[in-house]
Amino acid sequence: MSLDAAKNAYTIGKPYAEIDNDILSPVEGFPEKTWWTWFIISLTGLLVYLGVIGYSFVKGLGIFGINSPVSWGVYIIGLVFWLEIGHAGTMISAILYLFRQRWRTSINRAAEAMTIFAVMTAALLPLIHLGRPWMVNWLFPYPNDRGPVWNNFNSPLLWDVYAISTYFTVSLFFWYMGLLPDFAAMRDRAVIGRNQFKAKTAIGEKLLEMRVWLLKVAALGWVGSGKAWHHYEKMVMLLAALATPLVMSVQSILSFDFVTSVIPGWHSTILPINFITGSIYSGFAMVLSLVIVMRSAFNMKAYITDRHIDNLGWVMLFTGMLVFFGYFVELFMAYYSANGFEQYVWTYRFVGEYAWAFWLTMVTILLPPHIMWFKKLRNNHTLLFIMTVIINIGMWFERFVIVVTPVARDFLPSSWRLYVPTVWDVLVVLGEFAMFFTFFLLFVRVLPSIAFTEVKMDEAGDLAKGKGHH
Amino acid sequence: MPSFKEIKEGLFSYEEVDSGYVVRVKDAHDLLEAAKKVRDAGINRFDTFAPFPIHGMSEAMGLKRSWLPFITLIGGITGFTANISYIGYITLIDWPIIYGGKGFFNFPSMFPLFFEIMILFASLSTVGGFMALSGMGSINRKPPISEATSDGFAIWIGDTIPESEVKKILGSLAMEIRSVN
Repeated sequence: MSLDAAKNAYTIGKPYAEIDNDILSPVEGFPEKTWWTWFIISLTGLLVYLGVIGYSFVKGLGIFGINSPVSWGVYIIGLVFWLEIGHAGTMISAILYLFRQRWRTSINRAAEAMTIFAVMTAALLPLIHLGRPWMVNWLFPYPNDRGPVWNNFNSPLLWDVYAISTYFTVSLFFWYMGLLPDFAAMRDRAVIGRNQFKAKTAIGEKLLEMRVWLLKVAALGWVGSGKAWHHYEKMVMLLAALATPLVMSVQSILSFDFVTSVIPGWHSTILPINFITGSIYSGFAMVLSLVIVMRSAFNMKAYITDRHIDNLGWVMLFTGMLVFFGYFVELFMAYYSANGFEQYVWTYRFVGEYAWAFWLTMVTILLPPHIMWFKKLRNNHTLLFIMTVIINIGMWFERFVIVVTPVARDFLPSSWRLYVPTVWDVLVVLGEFAMFFTFFLLFVRVLPSIAFTEVKMDEAGDLAKGKGHH
Repeated sequence: MPSFKEIKEGLFSYEEVDSGYVVRVKDAHDLLEAAKKVRDAGINRFDTFAPFPIHGMSEAMGLKRSWLPFITLIGGITGFTANISYIGYITLIDWPIIYGGKGFFNFPSMFPLFFEIMILFASLSTVGGFMALSGMGSINRKPPISEATSDGFAIWIGDTIPESEVKKILGSLAMEIRSVN
């Protein structure tokens, strides 16, 4: 399979069966020590997190640092942070698809998985923050015998319920439909004897049989018929076209939680845009860190090439500057509006009790992507990885500044109070990460982390070009 | 306006492999050629099997335009109007309350809800429509050749014609011919 004629930076140039084997090797093999180490650490963290949540149910939200003016502590910071991480996955799978960006192929599956797990992590947080989580069903407007008591449909918090549940459902279906042909391929691998799993005992054989049966169910009887592909391609296009406005709306609605209030610093029309640019920024940082680790851990350098890493880095640089621009406009508006309260919020951010968080944010989100300007630095993937981690820490503190500073000093000086996180707050933040990484680590071992059907499709396109067709 | 027959063909084109021949070909390019030849020979029931969507295959097979976008549109309109009616019923008839002086049924501030449900219904009907149109759901179905989901390419000819006819249609392309049953 010579691909000399097809000069494309993303061409892999391997037979299709070999592509399958490469991508499925982490799935069809027993995990090694490194994976187990990280998995056990994450799982322990997740269990601790569940314990903290359970304790907060018994004891009440008083164990956290939240108080009367600052009633949205780590939970809403986490909600914004994780939802924004999630949005980058949809950007890659839907928006880059609509723009026909070839380089999305190798990373879209992992990015979508990241979306699903980030939204799961995010959606759990406001439910715990309700204070009475057993009344979570009150969030949904269904006919009930409580009066009936209906929701306030003018409330942005209810819009959030609609937006996040729709977003999760649509992302899940989009992801699953993308997995469908891959599931079918995994199902048939045992039949054609390419499965890399080898059962040594009778129990092992039974387990492998069960696995094939589960894959049968998951593949829904997909056989790769041309007539099915005909509808399939339309469906992927339609879902991408639906997910694109959806992701924008979810991000805007999330910012409406702040914007529709009358708190200076929140009541600002630029916030939806800032949330969208911020979401691309922090989400791409997370994709980049996951992809850098994944490709070196699973030897996927042929599929996730240096070009992919480079492209992600350029997106980071671009959105990093957008985020900076957003900050600049917000600051300028505060100055130009001549509104004393608005200006006070910014003065407070610059020199107040939380100035350390503000300046930490400024340094950690505005400076790191500029290493992309230098060839030596941007080709160093360890450095890029460190950059993404720093950016995400910075983005977390950015949410902290947005959520905490405007309310810590609102209108009445008598109600000013600081938000001081307790040990439980810290455990919740660590628990969120543990939950996310537990799911992601499971994902890379159970499902193909690269959409090999799409990889093969691009390869076939290159072959056709090489032969002089089309 | 398309005729009813055209709509039906565009909707439910998927057929099970139950008769005729399955011919395995070398690669995606040959499959495209084979599909063109089979369609030009006037075969009514045929399908191609490939591990990935092949560019130009729908045209080569002469498939009618997919009606999936139409199903999406119907789903979206249904979701939008259903949610307007539901929230309208709640806020105007069942329990009218004024929140924040905004009036009973405040369209601008409820628009995000209508929008989200529109997207939800449109997406779910797209997925459901795809499953119905391409015959998903029979989990025991097997591809005509096992490699069809990995690296095999095959064309199925369902019409009852002699094997020599199949060879004649496909010419030099045919690699392995196997009769179904």
